Parts: sequence; structure tokens; C-alpha cells
Amino acid sequence: MNNNRYKILLVEDEANIRTFISALLEVNGYQVILANNYAQARTMYFSYVPDLIILDLGLPDGDGSLLLSEIRVNDATPVIVLSARSDESEKVRLLDLGANDFVTKPFGSAELLARVRSSLRSYRHSSDDGRLPGGKFVLMDLVIDYDARRLFINDEEIKLTQTEYNIMALLSEHCGKMMTYSAIIKAVWREYPDEGNIKRLQVNMANIRKKLGLRPGDNKYIVNELGVGYRLQD
Amino acid sequence: MKNEALKHVKNALLMLIILGVTFFISIILQDILTVQEHITTVFVFAVFLVSLITDGYLYGILTAFLGVIAVNFAFTFPYFAINFIIPENFISALVMIVISLMTSALTTKLKKWQEIKVEGEREKMRANLLRAVSHDLRTPLTTIYGSSSAIVDSYDSLSDDVKKKMVIGIKEDSQWLIGMVENLLSITRIDGGGVKLIKSPMSLEELADSVILKFKKRYPEINLIIDIPDSVVIIPMDAMLIEQVILNIFENAVYHADGMTHISFRVYLEKENAIFEISDNGCGIEKSRLDRIFDGYFSAEQRSDAKRRNAGIGLSVCSTIINAHGGSISAENLAAGGAVFRFSLSVADGNDIIDYNEENNI
Repeated sequence: MNNNRYKILLVEDEANIRTFISALLEVNGYQVILANNYAQARTMYFSYVPDLIILDLGLPDGDGSLLLSEIRVNDATPVIVLSARSDESEKVRLLDLGANDFVTKPFGSAELLARVRSSLRSYRHSSDDGRLPGGKFVLMDLVIDYDARRLFINDEEIKLTQTEYNIMALLSEHCGKMMTYSAIIKAVWREYPDEGNIKRLQVNMANIRKKLGLRPGDNKYIVNELGVGYRLQD
Repeated sequence: MKNEALKHVKNALLMLIILGVTFFISIILQDILTVQEHITTVFVFAVFLVSLITDGYLYGILTAFLGVIAVNFAFTFPYFAINFIIPENFISALVMIVISLMTSALTTKLKKWQEIKVEGEREKMRANLLRAVSHDLRTPLTTIYGSSSAIVDSYDSLSDDVKKKMVIGIKEDSQWLIGMVENLLSITRIDGGGVKLIKSPMSLEELADSVILKFKKRYPEINLIIDIPDSVVIIPMDAMLIEQVILNIFENAVYHADGMTHISFRVYLEKENAIFEISDNGCGIEKSRLDRIFDGYFSAEQRSDAKRRNAGIGLSVCSTIINAHGGSISAENLAAGGAVFRFSLSVADGNDIIDYNEENNI
């Protein structure tokens, strides 16, 4: 049974942080592989092929974001970045480099576990490909029928505009991954993201949330990260 | 660069206006009152005024030259000719230039001195902030260090109950520390060497969503009543900072509004502004504190009451952030009991561009 557990590679140079994260993950049924510097992380990554990587950026022998781009060359293994900086531009940069999500230090156990679960889900989802003919996306009571381009909640159809549907379809294809404004704008409008486009995206999102019956503070289906982007999550 | 050019345009305009008025007065003096011997005095006064109002030496000296030429050419004998041979003309020219130089030197010095004073005050503010913060940090650090070392040193002799209680204390106090660090980061974000605030469009609904989630996570037991417009409102802002403002005001109510049973968060539009209104039904704010409630960290008073710490810095961070946005913030007591905090942000050029009806339903 041990062999069926998810393998998580934890790259963190601070011993105290490493201790508490690995304890937390193991208690919750994950198998943890530890690395405390860049070189070790590379070796571990290639020899163990982990299901998820938790990556701290400030490593003693190299920038963690280099490892991220190295992994992303031909691999979609989800990466959660641990970052000490909280400004939006840094978050956007990491997401655009291919990180699935980020957790800003300091963080609580619940927060980290939620990100781990949702990143692992995104991996599972993309591997069973919801875009096959007859493909459906299911998230709690929300269902997207990709062939019919329709969205249902509790079997009741929610009437979306073309654009609104496209946004939801995109988010669902990357369920569990934080999608930046620019990634969404490029995919949905095929335009370069500027202020006007971001406004347009926000207006569409506001309408989508209204149609889905979400009030501000309802933490359901869509998570919004101020100034960064959106994520569909369980 | 742009500011520099604007300053020159402003200075030049001021100079031309003053010269124009002077010229007009001189014509009245000469033609109507026929007391032209005072015209030179009027021009001397103009030179003084220009040197006083404009920046640097350039415009004062320019005015002096123009004044000399105008007086010489138009208002003294021989009319409509430049003539410096007459000693009177020569002397008045000299006087004007000397006055312009001296006044300019004096005003420049005064301006520099004022800048130094402002800089000094900012330094003092920073020092006060540092002192207040370091003092405030000690209490939670005492809990964290004390409890954890107690657990490590006497792990076996402490009961599970006590250990759990201590760990909960550690968690609470570290959360408080996180809040403090967020506030300090917000200040550096604004105060970082005069870096201008970067405003980006943000929908009010999304802001509210994020704020409410964060607040609920920390204080799940508090009843929040939300009232925001149904229509989509986009406001240009630094969203992380405005989120911090709202959270600070919420938290202020949690800490200080004794007897509070709910907090209400209301946003409405008034002309070009979005007004954010956060009120509670607690004990209200003492009259003596109300006037200075937003400059908490400047005051030297220190509270020993542990629950009341963090009082100052949160709200002063709020006012710093709102001022940097060009908005205004105020606090008052409600007649029905409780306190209300209000701040405004300009909605201008937030809602102008998109025709939302371009897309039809599928």
C-alpha cells in the first residue's frame, strides 16, 4: 500500500521548515523525499520522478526558479513554490514560468495541504483528458459538457456568453492551477494583456460569479488571487 | 523631466502675469494719474514679487532685465529709446538686479530649509514607528519563546492539556506577528524612497471576496454583513494595500469594539467616488482618542494591556495607504452606538471603456 502513496519532493534549505512540512505531509499520507539544495533537488527529481514538487526559491547553491524552468522543459509535474515575497509581480512571474501554485511564507498547515491536494488533482485531471469526445468536467455539483459547450449546476443549465464559457472551459482544463490574468487573456481573446483587457476579464468574471450564484466570500468553485489570477478548485 | 518642464512653464507664466499687471499699472500711473516718477518703484516691487514666488534665480533676474528695459524704453525720457547714459536709469537698473538676486537667494535658502525640516520630520516618524513596533514585538515573542522553551525543557512533566494550551498561544501570537509584518510591508511599499503607487483596475466584487475570505479564516465566529452594489464596479487601486486597509479596520473592531455582535461592510457610489463604510455596534471610540486615531504610532503613550496592543499602527497604516491613493479616511461614533470608519477611492477612469453588451448569449 505504501507504493501507492503520492511521492512529494520537498526542496527547502531551512531545516526547521523542512521538519514541519515533511511531518505534516507524512501524517497526511504522502511519501516525502527531501532535498536541501539545488544539486540534491535535481538528482532527487531525476531518480525518484515525484508526483509533486514543493520548491523553496532561496536555495544556497542556486535560484529555485531555474530548477522550475528546467523541469518545465518537458515535464508537467505540478510544482508549488514557497516564496518569501508577497508582491503580485513575483507571483505572476513564477506562475508564468510554469509553477502551478505558490504559498507565501509564513503559511499554515491547512493552507499548504489544500494547495497540495488541489495541485495533485489538476495533475490527475489533465492526465485523464476531459477534452476527449463526450468529455465532461465535474467539480462538485458543477458540470461542463465540452461538446455541447454548456455548463450546469445541479443539472440546471447556467446560461453563459461565449466569452464567459471560454473562460470557464479554460479554467476547468487547468483545474487546480492558478491561471494568471495574462494567461487567460492570451488564451481567450488572443490579445496582449493590457489594462483594458484585465478590466474586461474582471467584468466577465464578476458576471460569471453572479451567474453561478456566488456572493463575495463564498469560497466555492473559483478562487481569486488579487492582482494575479484565478483558479478553479474543489 | 516632465515635472521640470511643467515647473518652468508655471514660473514663466507667473512672471508674465506679474509683468503684465505691472505694465498696466504703470500705464495708469503715467497717463491717468501722471505720477510717472513712481513707475520705477512699481517695477522694483514686481521684481521682488517674481523673485519671491518663482523657483531659483532665473526668473527674478529676467524680470529685472525686462523691467529695466520697459522702464527705460517706455516710461522714462527719452521715450521709446534705450538710454543708459542718464545716471537715474542706470541706478534703477542696478537696484532691480540687486533686489532680484537677494530675494532669490533668500527664498532658495528658505525652501531648502523647509525640505530639510520635512525630511527630519519623516525621520522622526520612522524612528517612532520603529520604537513602537519593537516594543510591540516583545509581547508575542515572549509567549512564543517562553512557551516553546517550556515545552522543550519540560516535555515529560507538562500535561497534554497545558502543552496544547501553550501551542495554541504560540499559534495566536505568531498570527498577530504576521499581521504586524504585513502592515510594515505595506508601509515600505508606499514609503520605499518615494516610489509611486501602482494602481491597477480591480473589481470591487473580487476585492470584497478576497477580504471576506481572509477575515473569515481568522475570525470565523464574527458576523459580517455585506452590502455592495450589484453592478460591476471597477476601481483603480493597489489592491493588496486596500485589502490591508479593510482588514485592519475589521480587526480594529474585533480588538477594540467591546460588546460588538456584528461588523457591517458597505460600499456605495457617490459621484466619482466609491465610499467604503465599515461599522460595528460595539462600544464606540473614546472622544479623546477620536481626533488622533489615525496617527497612532506618533503618540508616545504605550498601552500595557495586551489585548489593546497593535492599536496604533494598523489604523495609521490605513490612513497612509488611503492618502497615497489620493482618497480620504475618517472615523466617528454612531448615534445608535458603535463606530464607523469611512474611506473613499476615486472611481474615475475605471468604468469607461468596455461595451459589455458586445457578446450575445449562446
